[in-house]
Amino acid sequence: MFDDTIALTGRSLKKWIRNPAAIMPGLFTAVFWLVLFGSSFNPVNLVPTQIGGTPLPPAVIQQIQASITSVFGGATNYITFLTAGVISFIVVINMAYGGIDIVLDRQLGYLNSLLGSPISRASIFFSGVMQNFVKAFFLALLTFAVALLIPNGLMLGAGFGALNFIGIFAAFALLTFGFSCLFTAVAFSVKNVDSLVAIINFLAFPLVFMSTAMFPIGTFPSWLKGIAEVNPVTKAVETARLLMVNGSLSAGQLSTFADNMLYLVIFAAALAVLGYLIARRALRAE
Amino acid sequence: MTKIIGAENLTKTYNVIKAVDHISFSVEEGELFGFLGPNGAGKTTTIKMLTTLAAITEGRATVAGFDVTKDPAEVRKAIGIIPQELTADDELKGIENLLLAAKLHHVPGDKARGKALSLMQLFELEGAAQRRVKTYSGGMRRRLQLAMGLIHDPKLLFLDEPTLGLDVQTRQNMWAYIRKLNREDGITVFMTTHYLEEADSLCDRIAIVDCGIIKASGSPSELKSRLSGNVLTLQLMDGADASGLIRNVQDVTEVVKEGETYKIKLEKTERALPAIVEAVTAKGLKISDISLAKPTLDQVFLQITGNAMRDGPATGDSYGQRVLIERLK
Repeated sequence: MFDDTIALTGRSLKKWIRNPAAIMPGLFTAVFWLVLFGSSFNPVNLVPTQIGGTPLPPAVIQQIQASITSVFGGATNYITFLTAGVISFIVVINMAYGGIDIVLDRQLGYLNSLLGSPISRASIFFSGVMQNFVKAFFLALLTFAVALLIPNGLMLGAGFGALNFIGIFAAFALLTFGFSCLFTAVAFSVKNVDSLVAIINFLAFPLVFMSTAMFPIGTFPSWLKGIAEVNPVTKAVETARLLMVNGSLSAGQLSTFADNMLYLVIFAAALAVLGYLIARRALRAE
Repeated sequence: MTKIIGAENLTKTYNVIKAVDHISFSVEEGELFGFLGPNGAGKTTTIKMLTTLAAITEGRATVAGFDVTKDPAEVRKAIGIIPQELTADDELKGIENLLLAAKLHHVPGDKARGKALSLMQLFELEGAAQRRVKTYSGGMRRRLQLAMGLIHDPKLLFLDEPTLGLDVQTRQNMWAYIRKLNREDGITVFMTTHYLEEADSLCDRIAIVDCGIIKASGSPSELKSRLSGNVLTLQLMDGADASGLIRNVQDVTEVVKEGETYKIKLEKTERALPAIVEAVTAKGLKISDISLAKPTLDQVFLQITGNAMRDGPATGDSYGQRVLIERLK
């Protein structure tokens, strides 16, 4: 089963590598979100410098700015806060749309030729999961690089090291894998692209916007706060932010990190099982 | 001879529509068996059931000694499937497609390359092995598809409309390949087609299907002999009605007069033809034209399935069909 999964994943990735233009939409999304959205909205700039013609003392302005920054988890600018959110957005959206390849494989008869060959249904499903995973994960890395490269972009905390980097992408890997299982299973279950797009819009956007990807949880109404707190996107984004903004973690931060990672491991494992069950049902002979 | 495919009361119902309706047939090892029928007759549905891709609603089928419903994995190992759609990957090279097919059929790596190269040679694709499939012509794609279905040396090959959309020359080439696989390599072939000349030229035995039912089966010559004899077309010089005269000749079964032309159905041509000529000339009538037509499979087919156009709802995926047409261009 493992060899079949590798062979099929290889087929998809070979096609992907041979078509470098395929990563452009993802790259543009990253740049647009970070540069346009991230630069045009910086809440620290909202602090007034004067009230009724009377200039505010710089110490007061700084204090207000510091309190806003603290709401943003210690990020020194909005792009630093936003980077983890944009990565999660790109991961979720690209995995969701990655399912289009699977729907086309069904429509073009390729899926039937797989179903008629002596490979297990599990390898058909997990090769779909892996191809989506690799593509989305690559875009996540690319987005991180873009955030670092743009002027006044991502400001990493002092003492940021390889372990921080590994921790950030371990969290995103778990998030990506879990959602890849979900969206791959959905893609195997629908018969045409229209249905897939409808489901993507229904699932992917709320997942991102009902998390702390774009805005801090302190600004949320209480009903949304409850949802955002259990949303796996929030867990991955908060973990990544923690590791971006703080170089080395305090004992308390380390325990938050461990809790979030455990949550993400359970999430990824649960969706792997759920996704497989959905896909197995969708792939059986009708 | 051993039975390699056996279908008993095979039925497939989609919602309330019976796509295949209690059909029974068997195919012997080494045979080239054709399922001939108009569009929407249930040919592809039957192939899908036999190749484990569609669940059987009622009845049972055995393929290569295994029950299709109980042992689908064993059936898949034993068979090669060449679908109607062209499923080779456009972005991969010809050889890469073959090697991927080999991997998916668990052909050991060292064997796979040799087998892939020899199939490329057999189907005259060796020059294009390193080219991406998107540069292939329709005929090359069909040949590659055939090679992909043969990579694991199946003893039974299912071909669904193998020459659909090909030009006349390419079609003839495909026939030669299929014939060779069957006659020289001993591969049993189950194929569907709606081209009569294809079934006539290739198949040892044919089942004519329509509306999910097998309407007739037998060898092409058996089926043709079911049509009562040959048709003689006779044209006379003057206007006198000779219908009665001709009808009285022994072995004439039917006479239809259209103007000066008589369409005459004959039982035993060698006896009836001279007798008709003799009877007509004896009455002083002059023959201006005479021709004899042997029954074609077309006539058998039309007699069995009727002339009605088949414009039912599309059974396949319309997007897939459009891509298929593009790829064959």
